[in-house]
Amino acid sequence: MRVLVVEDEVRLAENVAAALREGPNFAVDCAEDGLTGLHLAENLCYDLIILDLMLPGLDGLGLLKKVRSRGDATPVLILTARSEASSIITLLNAGADDYLSKPFDLGELIARSKALIRRGKGVADPILRLADLEVNTVEQCVRRSGKLVDLSPTEYRILEYLLHRPRVIVSKRELLEHLYDYNWEHHSNVIEAHISNLRRKLEAATQQPSIETLRGRGYRLLMGFEDGR
Amino acid sequence: MKSYSITRRLIITVLLVELLSALSLSAAAMFYERHVRFHSFDIMLRGRADSLLGAVQDAEDTQDNVMLDGTEVNFPKEDIYEVQDAGGRVLGHSPNWTGPDAAMLAATAGRSFRLSLQGTHYRVLRIEGLRIVDPGDKGGGIPRRVSIFYGAPIDRVWRDIWRAVGFYALVSLALLVVSGILLWWVLNRGLAPLRELAAQASGVSVDSWNFHPPQRARTIAELAPLTAALETLLAGLERAFMQQRQFVGDAAHELKTAVAVLKSSLQLLTLKQRTALEYERGIERCQLDCDRMEDAVAKMLTLARVETKTELPQPNFATDLADIVQQASQQFESMAELKRIHILISATGPVTVDADPEQLHLLCANLLLNALQHSAAGSTIRAVLRHDAIGIELDIEDDGDGIAPQDLPHVFDRFYRSDPSRSRNTGGTGLGLAICKAIVSSSQGTIEIASQLGIGTQVIVRFPAAVPSSASVKVAVRD
Repeated sequence: MRVLVVEDEVRLAENVAAALREGPNFAVDCAEDGLTGLHLAENLCYDLIILDLMLPGLDGLGLLKKVRSRGDATPVLILTARSEASSIITLLNAGADDYLSKPFDLGELIARSKALIRRGKGVADPILRLADLEVNTVEQCVRRSGKLVDLSPTEYRILEYLLHRPRVIVSKRELLEHLYDYNWEHHSNVIEAHISNLRRKLEAATQQPSIETLRGRGYRLLMGFEDGR
Repeated sequence: MKSYSITRRLIITVLLVELLSALSLSAAAMFYERHVRFHSFDIMLRGRADSLLGAVQDAEDTQDNVMLDGTEVNFPKEDIYEVQDAGGRVLGHSPNWTGPDAAMLAATAGRSFRLSLQGTHYRVLRIEGLRIVDPGDKGGGIPRRVSIFYGAPIDRVWRDIWRAVGFYALVSLALLVVSGILLWWVLNRGLAPLRELAAQASGVSVDSWNFHPPQRARTIAELAPLTAALETLLAGLERAFMQQRQFVGDAAHELKTAVAVLKSSLQLLTLKQRTALEYERGIERCQLDCDRMEDAVAKMLTLARVETKTELPQPNFATDLADIVQQASQQFESMAELKRIHILISATGPVTVDADPEQLHLLCANLLLNALQHSAAGSTIRAVLRHDAIGIELDIEDDGDGIAPQDLPHVFDRFYRSDPSRSRNTGGTGLGLAICKAIVSSSQGTIEIASQLGIGTQVIVRFPAAVPSSASVKVAVRD
């Protein structure tokens, strides 16, 4: 999952980004002012935007309104140092999905971020299930037919993303856009290598096919298809 | 102190004055009525006494006496009279006449006196009359003097007087009531704008500063100064309150953010098991975060202190600004050397400014630090100090990166940061220039900033001219 953090207090942005990378294994981009934030939000694909309110250039509320006016439904979590009911109401009415008052708890921020991403994908249960595959997004562990599958962080990220879009062909480009942050050098063969490792680990347990590669189009999870195709 | 109503006081005062006038009027009416009525009473008495004299007839006797002819006497029966001749012989009297009286005999002719008979008060007039008795054939006449006493009861006169006085008193009492009601109505109407003003003023609170005095209040001579004063006061209070609220809000925001940074730094460390080196680095970062918070708090306190001092009466300072600029630049010598920046100071002799030396030092240090932070390596910072008859001017000019035109009007605002990434590097809180402005303002000076992106920034501080000689002269001038 890829998250955009728009926060002018650089140290806070650094800490939030580090926590999101270390905890739920997200790819995180940071913007220090509203205009940069808007540019990133408009041009890249994010699964969550974490937005500070007091920003130079364009303030958080303005950014939020612009994003929503473009029909962008990305979940938005607001960070605010003001906690008056009126400002919270304004924010929620402007299209924000949740807010946290500064100073906040990093654990709470991570939990809310995960919940917002889950909801954004139309999922309520933090444990994702597909046929014999079970991914616990809280503990970040993967089981196939009850057997624990040990995955690297990137492999886990790919699997979690694919699980959010079952039965859909996910392109390599989409995976790159959602799993890597802006500073990552895009090498498409990196994805291929990870997919291959992931497939091997998943199939080691049951000998059942797991991920299908459609040349030139992308990848698709095979679990849940009746004919096992 | 007991509260009271101006309306009630005014009404009571006016009514008391009116009551006093009514009493005086009644008293005057009584005196006048008494005078007029007794005068006419006396005229009537005289007329009746004269008629009585006409009834004195020749007795037709040998002594040529006179007698009172009863048939000619026809007076009201309540009147009293007596006729005496010169010898004191009573010629006749009214039936209710009881006899002579000492006062009666002592009374002078033509004057009236009071007499009480059987419980009735009379006013009696004595006149002397002359009756020529015809002696028959002897020729000539014999004059016979007679004294006539004629009295009438005065109770009726008094009753008339009291009735007249009562009428006047009643009329003035009625007028008193009418004017009291009228006064109450007029005062109530007249004071209505004052009540409206009070109602408007009572609607003002810290949440609603709207004060719209009624238009009438502005046009009334007595209320206009009060209205104007209220408006000025409220506008000033609102400004100060909003400023204070803004500052508290900004300060809270700043502190919350600082706490958020520190808290997140600490929580990040505890998120998972880390190596000793990672912990060490994390703790170092936490310390930096702490230092920044400390710096922000210190600056806020400085700003609050400078602003509080502005409100207090200041002792007279005679601070040498040239010396202060020198000291401040020495403070940054090593930093300037490190960045290979040259600080050029040009000042001609001591320049005296009436300002706290500590604050002036803070001002110069802040301005020089700003210039240093925004200057490129190898450039020059020029601090020029001039003074003339009008005042003292300190220019600090750098060839740094400048300030964007859209930020220029806000640089003195509290917590305003033109560029967040730059303030991160320089540890700015957005309070430095706000502190400078507060310091300069407290010494009745001005501070201006001119800047062009990529060319440089010039800060111009002006102070009013202090009297250049010794402090004693200055005190004398101030007093």
